[in-house]
Amino acid sequence: MQSQKNHCSVCCTLLFKAILIALSVCVCVCVCVCVCVLSEQYCCDCDYLVTTFFPYLALLSCLCTELPSRVCGCCGALRPRYKRLVDNIFPEDPEDGLVKANMEKLTFYALSAPEKLDRIGAYLSERLSRDVARHRYGYVCIAMEALDQLLMACHCQSINLFVESFLKMVRKLLESDKPNLQILGTNSFVKFANIEEDTPSYHRSYDFFVSRFSEMCHSSYEDPDIRTKIRMAGIKGLQGVVRKTVNDELQANIWDPQHMDKIVPSLLFNLQSGERTESRSPSPLQASEKEKESPVELTERCFRELLGRAAYGNIKNAVTPVLMHLDNHSLWEGKTFAVRCFKIIMYSIQSQHSHLVIQQLLGHLDANSKNSATVRAGIVEVLLEAAAIAASGSVGPTVLEVFNTLLRQLRLSVDYELTGSYDGSVNIGTKIIKAHEERQLQEAVIRTIGSFANTLPTYQRSEVMLFIMGKIPVPGVHPALPSTGSGPEGTRMIQVMLLKSLVQVTAGFQTTNMLTALPSSFLEPLLSFSLTEDPEIRLLVLQILLSLIDRHDNTPKFSNIRCVIISDISVLKLKVDKCSRQDNLFMKKHGQQLYRHIYLGCKEQSSGRQHYETLFALLGLLSVELANEEVVVDLIRLALALQDLALSTDEAMPVFNRCAVHALAAAYLNLICQLTTVPAFCQHIHEVIEVRQKESPYLLPEDVFIDNPKLPSSLEKVEGEVLFLQSKITEVLGGSGYNTDRLATPYVPQYTDEDRLSKRKSIGETISLQVEVESRNSPEKEEVISWTPAEEITFETLKNAIENDDDDDCFLFPFRPPPSPSGTISSGYGQSQSRSVPIYEMKFPDLCVY
Amino acid sequence: MSMEDYDYLFKIVLIGNAGVGKTCLVRRFTQGLFPPGQGATIGVDFMIKTVEIKGEKVKLQIWDTAGQERFRSITQSYYRSANALILTYDITCEDSFRCLPEWLREIEQYANNQVVTILVGNKIDLAEKREVLRQRAEDFAEAQSMLYLETSAKESDNVEKLFLDLACELIREAKQNKLDNNDTAPMPGEGKTISYLSCCSLN
Repeated sequence: MQSQKNHCSVCCTLLFKAILIALSVCVCVCVCVCVCVLSEQYCCDCDYLVTTFFPYLALLSCLCTELPSRVCGCCGALRPRYKRLVDNIFPEDPEDGLVKANMEKLTFYALSAPEKLDRIGAYLSERLSRDVARHRYGYVCIAMEALDQLLMACHCQSINLFVESFLKMVRKLLESDKPNLQILGTNSFVKFANIEEDTPSYHRSYDFFVSRFSEMCHSSYEDPDIRTKIRMAGIKGLQGVVRKTVNDELQANIWDPQHMDKIVPSLLFNLQSGERTESRSPSPLQASEKEKESPVELTERCFRELLGRAAYGNIKNAVTPVLMHLDNHSLWEGKTFAVRCFKIIMYSIQSQHSHLVIQQLLGHLDANSKNSATVRAGIVEVLLEAAAIAASGSVGPTVLEVFNTLLRQLRLSVDYELTGSYDGSVNIGTKIIKAHEERQLQEAVIRTIGSFANTLPTYQRSEVMLFIMGKIPVPGVHPALPSTGSGPEGTRMIQVMLLKSLVQVTAGFQTTNMLTALPSSFLEPLLSFSLTEDPEIRLLVLQILLSLIDRHDNTPKFSNIRCVIISDISVLKLKVDKCSRQDNLFMKKHGQQLYRHIYLGCKEQSSGRQHYETLFALLGLLSVELANEEVVVDLIRLALALQDLALSTDEAMPVFNRCAVHALAAAYLNLICQLTTVPAFCQHIHEVIEVRQKESPYLLPEDVFIDNPKLPSSLEKVEGEVLFLQSKITEVLGGSGYNTDRLATPYVPQYTDEDRLSKRKSIGETISLQVEVESRNSPEKEEVISWTPAEEITFETLKNAIENDDDDDCFLFPFRPPPSPSGTISSGYGQSQSRSVPIYEMKFPDLCVY
Repeated sequence: MSMEDYDYLFKIVLIGNAGVGKTCLVRRFTQGLFPPGQGATIGVDFMIKTVEIKGEKVKLQIWDTAGQERFRSITQSYYRSANALILTYDITCEDSFRCLPEWLREIEQYANNQVVTILVGNKIDLAEKREVLRQRAEDFAEAQSMLYLETSAKESDNVEKLFLDLACELIREAKQNKLDNNDTAPMPGEGKTISYLSCCSLN
């Protein structure tokens, strides 16, 4: 080889001199023919020819340098073979396209001498640069086609150096301002991107490609068709870069923010601009081109591919630009696009990473805490959708953090609504808070809480229920409420919001083991709320109870109390399972509490139609879900006690409530008698109802629970046959083996400390305390609880106060034991305290600080 | 391997408020025309021009960014790799001048710290509507140690000078840097083999 090169250089200088010597053309032609014949014969390196025919060649070449190389093909003998082969693939007229036969020769040569590949590349690239500069675009296309073919043919071998020249050419094309060259370059790049290289490349950078392709994605070329083509080329190019780099550790990390911040917004921009054009009615021309992929589809595919390749550590870098794009283009407010983006994201990423996206969204929500309600609502809406898609994987390992963030947003929103400003201080007037927007946001947050809870398994769901319960403020307990200005109204709103969240969380909650799913630490505080004077809160508590107890979707069947006075309850198609042992234990433990709350709930003057209807549903559910014989007896006693309550003259109950309680008792007894299937019992109930229908229809649901019930001004002479008789019922049920002793004893609700304590005129007057013995001893004490003067009382003094001081106007504690995850005994009633640490405090000591 | 067709390659990014004439400056320089009624740039625009300075071929990659707020996130991603920034304002628009500190903060945050920044007051053809006095802008530029130039894309005043001056400055810096750390490893790629060290290896 070396000698060959020497020969070449020597002959070159000689040839140059030879130009000076004038020679006759005809001699040359003769020689020319002769050489041609020979070169055909010895189709090998120029060596042989150079040595043998040196003098003739000297003459020949002087001619050739003056003539275009293609005119005198024979001169190729002097050029390196690879250059000759390359030159030959170019036709005289670029319109003719690549010379296929010669291209095959070139390919064959490249395959048989791969070490020449890089020189071929370099030479092709040189030619191409020249052609670009001279605007000979036909040749440019041919050169690219040749390159593509060589790449495809040779990709099994090492193409490392060849790729350098190849990329240089692509870059050259991309630098051009001619759309067709840009697209040509991109297409070649895409072909290259699909080749899997086996050797890594150390010094190859795709910076320029990422920048340029991103720029092309934003093309604003005047002609819309060309603009679309350029944009699509940009998208494909980006896809190519991603494919090329994503698996190669040596190459630029495509997931670095500097790349992602270009790629992702470019894709989103196209996804979004497509949406705008799609909304227009498609012209017939567009319809005919429907087979072609639209930019939006392409973009979406590319975006999905990108996300699908993202590993755990890269999700953040890929999602952050999405959030920024949505921020910058104010796309949260519109919701639809943001939701669409995140649907794509959630469906495309590997499912085990979905909680990362949720976390980022939550973080973004926090970061936007002071932004307008519509933006926050948009983010929450996206969270809602995303949670539903990610299903079980949406929450990830930090369950309570998710709920904590949402609850914090709920609280912030309430504060904003009440104080009218974002910082709690006097409104500087930067932004006006729109109450109705905050309301919508609150609704959205509550729904989202429900959506997340739905993805959780039962045990985690009850943990979340406990967590939310622990957040419900009782005045005096959380004096550190940020809303100094919102006062009791703020507290009430928070209570309502959190209970609404609980309604969402408990909806569809089904447990086989009521006892562990509903520990007293949850049930007791919940029930204590059912005794407040606030009718809205009471109703929410009832709804929560309904969804907790209902495990067979029976609730809707009790929803219409008016239709329940029917002779045959089989039309309700109730689903009844046999009561399990745990259910029996549960009722043994909590039954009395439930009865008491139902009784007291009926007595509440502010109870309205909805309350009574819900109470009926609760009674009905207890009867079908949790009733054994003993429970049935108790429930019948309760119904009779309710009748007595309605008759009692001690209680200053309005006429409506009295009628309602009568109606409720009637409806319920009608239900339970049929469930017991004791004919005599049924007959008695039936008779009473018939009498009422004739004489006093206002004691039946049909006339009470309607929009404008016609009730007498006062209830007198409700006696005799319109009443259900305890003695009669005892008698008929005794015959069927029910416990008559118990039935004969009238039900009297046991007033406990809890009731006395929580039964106060308003929550505002109630001082209560959530004793957190453990957290006081913990090192994080300072940050956990900020003690106010009212609470600078040790637990011991409080306990003494309860024990010694009988005057309950002095200290009133609706004692709320901290929720305990294990469901261990915390018997409540203010007399003892649980020493268990709420689970959320074990996990998040700082979560107690709002 | 064939020679590159340039000795230096620089990336120049234009930034500044919307409507100050960034695109027009680039168009005037690269294509020699002043497009009347130029629309707002979408995202970012790309132009290339090779100039010869003292016998050396300098290729200028010009990235013209959108001034609109909504494209800020994508435009910021282009600052990082820039060798030079042309911070543009409109001399007939006080607002565009007042936003400059904000832009400088962005540069501080996103651009690399060796970037050459030049302040450009555009639209001097509208002298009768001038709102920002030359002296004020000069003082500001000096305080921020930036170069300052006033241009008119429409009349083609100083446009050529702007880019050529910038190129000179970049060459000077590149040579300076080359002397300072001769053994700097080259930045991978941009088509250069290891032997063709130049400015972009210095980012």
